[in-house]
Amino acid sequence: MSSFHIGKPTQNLASQNEFWLFRKLTGLQSVALLIALVLIGLLVVPVGKVIFVAFQDPSTGAATLQNFADFFATPLFRESFWNSFYVSAMSVVFATIIALPLAYITTRFHFSGSILIQSLGFIPLIMPPFVGAVAMQLIFGRNGTVNLLLREKFGFSVPFMEGLNGVILVQSIHYFPFILINLSASLRNIDRSMEEAAQNLGSHGIRLFRRIVFPLAMPGYIAGAALVFIKVFDDLGAPLLLNVNNMLAPQAFLRISSIGISDPMGYVISCILVLFSILSLWASFLVMRGKDYSTIQKGGGGIGKRTLKTGEKVLAYSVVALILLVVLSPHIGLLLLSFGTIWSFAPLPDAYTLQNYITMWEGSKTFILNTILYAGIAASLDVIIGTAIAYIVIRTGIFGRQWLDYLATGALAVPGVVLGIGYLRTFHGVDVPFTGESLASWWVIIALALMIRRLPYALRACTAALQQVSITLEECAESIGATKRRTIQKIVVPLMTGGILAGFVTSFATAAVELSATIMLVASNSDAPLAYGIYLFMQTPSGRGAGAALGIVAVVVVAIGTVASQLIIERDKKINSSNDIV
Amino acid sequence: MKKDGITIKNVHLSFGSTEVLKGINLEIQPGEFFAFLGPSGSGKSTLLRAIAGFGPIPTGEIFIGERNIVGLDPWLRNVGMVFQSYALWPHMTVRDNIGFGLRERKFATSNIQQKTNEVLELVNLSHLADRMPNQLSGGQQQRIALARTLVVEPDVLLLDEPLSNLDASLRVQMRRELLLLQRKLGLTTIFVTHDQEEANTTCDRMAVLENGIIQQVGSPQELYDNPTNLFVAKFLGTANILTGSIETNGRNTRFVTTTGETLNLPTAAQSGTQLVLRPQNIEIQKTSGKGTLKARVIHREFLGSQIRYLVNAAGTELVVDHSHTPDGVWFENGTNIHLRPNTSGATVL
Amino acid sequence: MKNVFLTSLAAFALGSGGVLADGKINVITSFPDSMTSPIEAAFEAANPQYDLEILNKKTSAGVKYIQEISSDNTADIFWASAPDAFEVLKSDDLLARVKVNSTGIPDKIGSYPLNDPAGYYYGFAGAGYGIMWNERYLKNNGLEPAKEWGDLADAKYHGHVGMSAPSRSGTTHLTVETLLQGEGWDAGWAKWKRIAGNFSTVTERSFGVPDGVNTGNFGLGVVIDFFGFSSKASGFPVDFHYPTITALVPANIGVVNNAPNSDGAIAFIEYLLTAEGQAVLLDPAIMRLPINPKTYANAPEGFPNPFKDSSIGATVKFDVEKSGARYNLVNSMFDVMITYRLDDLRDTVAALHKAEAIHAGSGNDDAKAKIAEAWALVEANPITEAESLDADFAAIFTKKRKKATDTVGERQAEVEARWDAMVVENYAKAKALAEEAAAM
Repeated sequence: MSSFHIGKPTQNLASQNEFWLFRKLTGLQSVALLIALVLIGLLVVPVGKVIFVAFQDPSTGAATLQNFADFFATPLFRESFWNSFYVSAMSVVFATIIALPLAYITTRFHFSGSILIQSLGFIPLIMPPFVGAVAMQLIFGRNGTVNLLLREKFGFSVPFMEGLNGVILVQSIHYFPFILINLSASLRNIDRSMEEAAQNLGSHGIRLFRRIVFPLAMPGYIAGAALVFIKVFDDLGAPLLLNVNNMLAPQAFLRISSIGISDPMGYVISCILVLFSILSLWASFLVMRGKDYSTIQKGGGGIGKRTLKTGEKVLAYSVVALILLVVLSPHIGLLLLSFGTIWSFAPLPDAYTLQNYITMWEGSKTFILNTILYAGIAASLDVIIGTAIAYIVIRTGIFGRQWLDYLATGALAVPGVVLGIGYLRTFHGVDVPFTGESLASWWVIIALALMIRRLPYALRACTAALQQVSITLEECAESIGATKRRTIQKIVVPLMTGGILAGFVTSFATAAVELSATIMLVASNSDAPLAYGIYLFMQTPSGRGAGAALGIVAVVVVAIGTVASQLIIERDKKINSSNDIV
Repeated sequence: MKKDGITIKNVHLSFGSTEVLKGINLEIQPGEFFAFLGPSGSGKSTLLRAIAGFGPIPTGEIFIGERNIVGLDPWLRNVGMVFQSYALWPHMTVRDNIGFGLRERKFATSNIQQKTNEVLELVNLSHLADRMPNQLSGGQQQRIALARTLVVEPDVLLLDEPLSNLDASLRVQMRRELLLLQRKLGLTTIFVTHDQEEANTTCDRMAVLENGIIQQVGSPQELYDNPTNLFVAKFLGTANILTGSIETNGRNTRFVTTTGETLNLPTAAQSGTQLVLRPQNIEIQKTSGKGTLKARVIHREFLGSQIRYLVNAAGTELVVDHSHTPDGVWFENGTNIHLRPNTSGATVL
Repeated sequence: MKNVFLTSLAAFALGSGGVLADGKINVITSFPDSMTSPIEAAFEAANPQYDLEILNKKTSAGVKYIQEISSDNTADIFWASAPDAFEVLKSDDLLARVKVNSTGIPDKIGSYPLNDPAGYYYGFAGAGYGIMWNERYLKNNGLEPAKEWGDLADAKYHGHVGMSAPSRSGTTHLTVETLLQGEGWDAGWAKWKRIAGNFSTVTERSFGVPDGVNTGNFGLGVVIDFFGFSSKASGFPVDFHYPTITALVPANIGVVNNAPNSDGAIAFIEYLLTAEGQAVLLDPAIMRLPINPKTYANAPEGFPNPFKDSSIGATVKFDVEKSGARYNLVNSMFDVMITYRLDDLRDTVAALHKAEAIHAGSGNDDAKAKIAEAWALVEANPITEAESLDADFAAIFTKKRKKATDTVGERQAEVEARWDAMVVENYAKAKALAEEAAAM
């Protein structure tokens, strides 16, 4: 420890830290510690608690596997487990069916409709799945638009939305862009000479695709497919609004909200959800490891492009148009519902009106303000923590820094419903000082949950932004005499602005429509954000139109956020590339 | 292996509206190790790829043996190509990589095994048969890429800058091995490079390309000693160009520089205004005499076996290489010296 | 954003420990926002010194919530449809006994006392249960509206009926219990199973039923009356009808024990019972039966008046204590026998309908005997009514161990597994019999 300075006190950090019992920490080390504590408190502890309770006998508190045994002995839960698995797998299949032809058309051919396909990759993601579910029910339901017309004209109907099918349809349409984007990128990254070498040795057509192109694109596909699988497996909103309860996530929600936070089954299910998420991530990681084809492929260039013959062109455009129509159906349905008066057992609403928007506006100011508050707090904290972690991981040698990254990214494996349950359990006994209110029902907890859920994405954005800033710029500043803090403040962060801003906007936009954790944590209607507001509106006969109007608001928010973030990144790329010193 | 010659007749090739090959005519003899040499953008790779069948379809004709292959799909041509990046498929073992072409040709499995083993022996890498490409060094990858191409017994072999991804010492070793292999197999081979030393040390004949046009075709020594245009002269080795005019009085031919100095030329009738002199063919003298040029030393570089002087002479800058011996003379910058060029083999363009 | 933040900050400062006599009233309610908002607005307009804080929870979730926070209670009011939920809270000592002043409120609605005799909770509106249908849907499928519960079991309604489950919805629980009490335990369950065999779906929340009927997803729904009235008032092509066997049960409100703002809570209850408060119930988004007979003067055309029309709700005298004693058990039975095995039940009943249609006038006694046997299997119950009322047995389903030393005979999971096995087997056997009969 530093000694006492008598007579001539120095201004260094050491003397200011005389009261520390631990060895003195640098600024960055303190930040790292603080972040670690936040992550532990808001992620590790609640999830750990959930896992712990699952292994605990509810009456004696002793450790036991009985709860798991009960789970697997109960036919309903076995069925839910199988159904979740089935729905996730089938969603991947259908998402692939939609994405594969699109990816192939854009990468293999000179196709002037490529802009169309790119927008196809964007449209589904702006409609939160639980909002889309209601609209899909109206269009594809038993007595929805399509089936009514089919029955009228052809005398048969297709059970698009019956039971699990409805969930699969909604999820495939929502998540296929993940596969489309990853697969297209993967195909575009294939070294042209890989294909040419095969052609040179006598291969072409389907054989070539099967033996060379697709295996090389496989890592990208697996990445996209694993992501889709996990997200569908963990999703609560879509099954809930489609009234499908025999799946794991809705079962967890129902057990905890109907039976109480003491019911062990909710925790067992949460455990399984988390375990499966981790397993999927790990499995895809394993498959991809050793297949990092980018190090072997020196060029890029993608597979060779051909022009389309007229007949092929017609086919391509038809496929794209059909997919576009299906993908837009929830948006169309939602729009019609928001402007419709009554829509009952008919292909279209009876009449149209603006009243729903007025009702919505009058009833939703609280929801919108709350959303801005929560999402704003969540996104701000996300980029601050994200930048800090990115800097600590990439630029410093602080002990255990990789664990900050793993922890923050680990939030991906935790479904929203599990996080919500964890918070309820961990914090319901804790009171917020000065209010006498339980922490679990304080509105701030919602913002914190959103922050944790979106942190992995913000972290990625900040990491990418930081990697574009050459370290020599910092070294230069420090050699001139700037402290670490000033360097970060004046050099690093401003250069990362684009990435940080993009991360903020995406965080904000997606936090604004999160439902799974929110629905567990909202304690009163006055604390409810947008997503919950839509859920509430949809619970009354007169509220569906207004709920749809609010849904449109949500879609617009996410759309603006996504576009803005893309524009910021593009602009940033231009600026940074001209600044490239190294 | 087969020995097919390659004949290229009046080939034009355009990317969109930009013409990249502007009338190529070339004859490559069966069994020849032929180089395409040129700077980047000269069209040498484009020409090679056109022979392989990649890129836009050219006008004109390309014969392999008796077949005109223009317009034919690449997989039907039976030309073997080794790519600059080797293009080994990372998801297959070395053995599977090599066997790919044979499988496409529907060979029997036992046959494929046997041929694969043979070709691995040929390149001395039998012990790597079951490795994955990312476990191989650069040199090993190149040899496997070669093996993969040779195993299907192509009519001709095309090598697209095969050594440019290797480090210097490996390059020297590999180019010797390539040459040996080619001699052994007798396969007509085209070797594309931008490095004149590579071309010089390996090929029987080469074609120098610039701007989509063949500048000159011939053996390395021919192109070096008798370049037919300025580009070739400058591209192959360092070239000093003296501007001036030729005077002849029937018996003697002389070259008069723009500074009025005179050099004797061989009596063979020559015309032109540029005299090409190689640095090692210029002697340095302390005193002037007949056929010397006045010069002043500007700069000096020590090259090991030579000392390279940059001098001002005859109105321009010349590079003069002077043999270095431990007790030899060094000239300081600013020293006035006299140069005696050896004009017996000099070219006038 | 700043405003909300500052308001929140101020709210925290104010909300500390319930020192103020006026101010915030915390209400735990299962009623949706469309109902609580107009009432909240009217109450706060008439009593500006109060601020209602609405916490929306499903009935069973609300009960659980109050149980969980009881050691450090922050709730003032519990406000829900189902009187049996109030019984559960009352027996747990979680309600406060208060004196509420009101005028013009009768003692009963139908044959049911409006208020808890011991003074722990009060009625503020009435509700009955019945059948709602979509006119377009029925027309399109060539069906007539169903009038009685038994009608819903008819073959022609197969696949067209929707309902929620008692475990998911307090009002549905009441409906199920009403029929069980009206027809008797075994006959009641038998009827429910036959009706359930016609289900298109079991919805997650009670609102899922009127929602399904409104959009035409299915044609008929078992609902609480105000869902039917408010849907119709919203313009949907639907209608509603009370069957003969129904109970008119009050919707209730009570003050939570150890409430932070007991005075405010009482004020709110009293407001609901004033003429003004009662009139709000006729709001088209709410449409609940007022309990002040004078309010009906302003009711819309066709709105039922239980004080004039004594046939409504007269046939069943709802025993709220019986209901409370077997609350969770009934929930479990319904879920295990019907909700979770809906597909099996539906298929079996379809097969039986088919067999019945074939042998409608055939005189084939063997076939008819098989069909009767099959129905008996479908209707078989795993426990008798006596068992359902046995306190120890019912305790298995409470999921609450008061003390760690309380012994539990079996666990709920085990019992449910047993029932499930029985039901699965029975449905399968019945289906096989039906198919045999059809082939004869």
